[in-house]
Amino acid sequence: MADVKIKNVIKRYGAVQVMHGVNVDIGHGEFVVLVGPSGCGKSTLLRMLAGLEEVSDGTISIGDRVVNDISPKERDIAMVFQSYALYPHKTVGENIGFPLRMAKRPKEEIDEKVRHAAGILDLTHLLDRYPKQLSGGQRQRVAMGRAIVRDPQVFLFDEPLSNLDAKLRVTMRVEIKELHQRLKTTIVYVTHDQIEAMTMADKIVVMRDGRVEQIGAPLDLYDRPGNVFVAGFIGSPSMNFLRGTIASTGGVKEFVSEAGLRLPVPPTAATEGQAVVYGIRPEHIGVGDNGTPVSVVVVEPTGSETQIFARAGTDLVNAVVKDRVRANPGQQIGFVIDPANVHLFDRQSEQRI
Amino acid sequence: MKRSNPWLMVLFWVIISFLTLFPIYWLFVISVKPAVDLFSTPDIWLTKVYWQNYIDVLNDRTLRGYMMNSLIISSGNAVLCTTLGFLTCYALSRFNLPGKESIFFWTITNRMAPPAVFLLPMYLLLTQVYRVGDFALADTRIGMILVYCTFNLPFAIWTLRPTLDGIPRELDEAAYVDGASPLRVIVEVVFPLARPGLAVTLILTWVFAWNEYLLAATLTNFNARTLTTGLSEYVTTTGTEWGIMAAISVFTLIPALIVFSLVQRHIVTGLTFGAVKG
Repeated sequence: MADVKIKNVIKRYGAVQVMHGVNVDIGHGEFVVLVGPSGCGKSTLLRMLAGLEEVSDGTISIGDRVVNDISPKERDIAMVFQSYALYPHKTVGENIGFPLRMAKRPKEEIDEKVRHAAGILDLTHLLDRYPKQLSGGQRQRVAMGRAIVRDPQVFLFDEPLSNLDAKLRVTMRVEIKELHQRLKTTIVYVTHDQIEAMTMADKIVVMRDGRVEQIGAPLDLYDRPGNVFVAGFIGSPSMNFLRGTIASTGGVKEFVSEAGLRLPVPPTAATEGQAVVYGIRPEHIGVGDNGTPVSVVVVEPTGSETQIFARAGTDLVNAVVKDRVRANPGQQIGFVIDPANVHLFDRQSEQRI
Repeated sequence: MKRSNPWLMVLFWVIISFLTLFPIYWLFVISVKPAVDLFSTPDIWLTKVYWQNYIDVLNDRTLRGYMMNSLIISSGNAVLCTTLGFLTCYALSRFNLPGKESIFFWTITNRMAPPAVFLLPMYLLLTQVYRVGDFALADTRIGMILVYCTFNLPFAIWTLRPTLDGIPRELDEAAYVDGASPLRVIVEVVFPLARPGLAVTLILTWVFAWNEYLLAATLTNFNARTLTTGLSEYVTTTGTEWGIMAAISVFTLIPALIVFSLVQRHIVTGLTFGAVKG
């Protein structure tokens, strides 16, 4: 178990700079998720941690060692790859024992540790099989077995669940989280799936275009996103954004959209006439008679909740309500918004006000 | 879809097999007939087996020497080309070498000219240039092994490239993270997975060197003479010894047939390896 410090890390490919001074502090035993859309640099950062990519500038430390120039072999890390990267010509047992064999451990110790890891991951009955004889979930567990068997300082996971079907993904998510609670090893986990990030992380690092947009605990990011990008990325379905300005009616500030729709705002530092982006999460919109009038476009009942897409002025707004709402397209209903749940961002800088 | 008639299929393959195997059968028939019978009763039926041609071939020390030369030259060449080809393709596949595609293309351009073009330069190189005191590479086994590399190494690189490219790079990376050194990565991961491709390359380069005639006939005299060139020595001014030549031909066929049958399965998997993601 060790802490990881990423300081001003820059990555260049030739003349192209793809990472622009990334800073992340990861504490002992923390489960940190790097999340962001494709091409945001999260996998590159993970590969730099693993020693599979060179660091162009800045430093990466694991424990109290700067590891920039240290080979992957000497970093005392273990990595689980997106494609699992199991050695197809080796059995499950040989795959799991491979890191120990490379470390020239005695055979008895390897056998014992392989059995132990297989026990934790429920793979004992599969030790003599080859990877091609296993299901996706089993392969995933073998890849994790290979990682945990050597008791590394840090685990690195590179989108480990993206090749699994939706149901299995949920199961494996729980297994990985449970494994972390049991082993308490520092984990750096890369995903583009914000649900995975929200459910598993102690701390989320949201990245875009080679920059860190925000770092924080999952619920902090959900409750107080620092900018429009994080607000839109964290949370599912995504937050609604409306563009407009702040107006004041009788001393009470309110939001006026470009189409003239008036919506309540929380007590805010935004000044009158300021151009803002108004953000409200779909699950924070209720349906009621005294709400803002909107025109229903589509209603999607999922059983546990109902998703309503409605036209508010010229904007399409999405609401998710627990009640079973029956409404026909074109029908007028009211959307009720609690100002406490509203997020305001500056239109120019897109930063939270 | 209408099923084609199975009997037609069988008939088709019987005819194809017959056309393929008949020349070999005929060769064998010639090799087990005494010279007098060859022209007096030129039929293709085997009535009596006369082994003397084989006994003569095996008792001939010179021919045994040729056979040994053929074996050593083809095996040495196949192992050398496959090893060098494997390492070259590993580098081409795994490292970001500047201009690597040009390097790859340049290596295979050697195969574009007919071997006869290389005869004179090769002859001069082996007799005049690569010379230390009295020792020249001409008419030596090592010389022939190197000469065949000119043609076989590009071929090996060409056949092994898709094999190496087909082994996911993530496996190397996983092994590095698991604590393997670069050499261990090759030994533990890349080599075992490249085995089908390596087997194919080994055999095809071996067969090329084993069957080669033109260069061996020009660049060897006696010491490194191979079985194929030995064949031509039985065409003399006093006549041609068809029976002996046929027996030698059968001997040259046997090793090729043995290796092919041993690794047939690998050849099929090897040639398709990397074509689809497994």
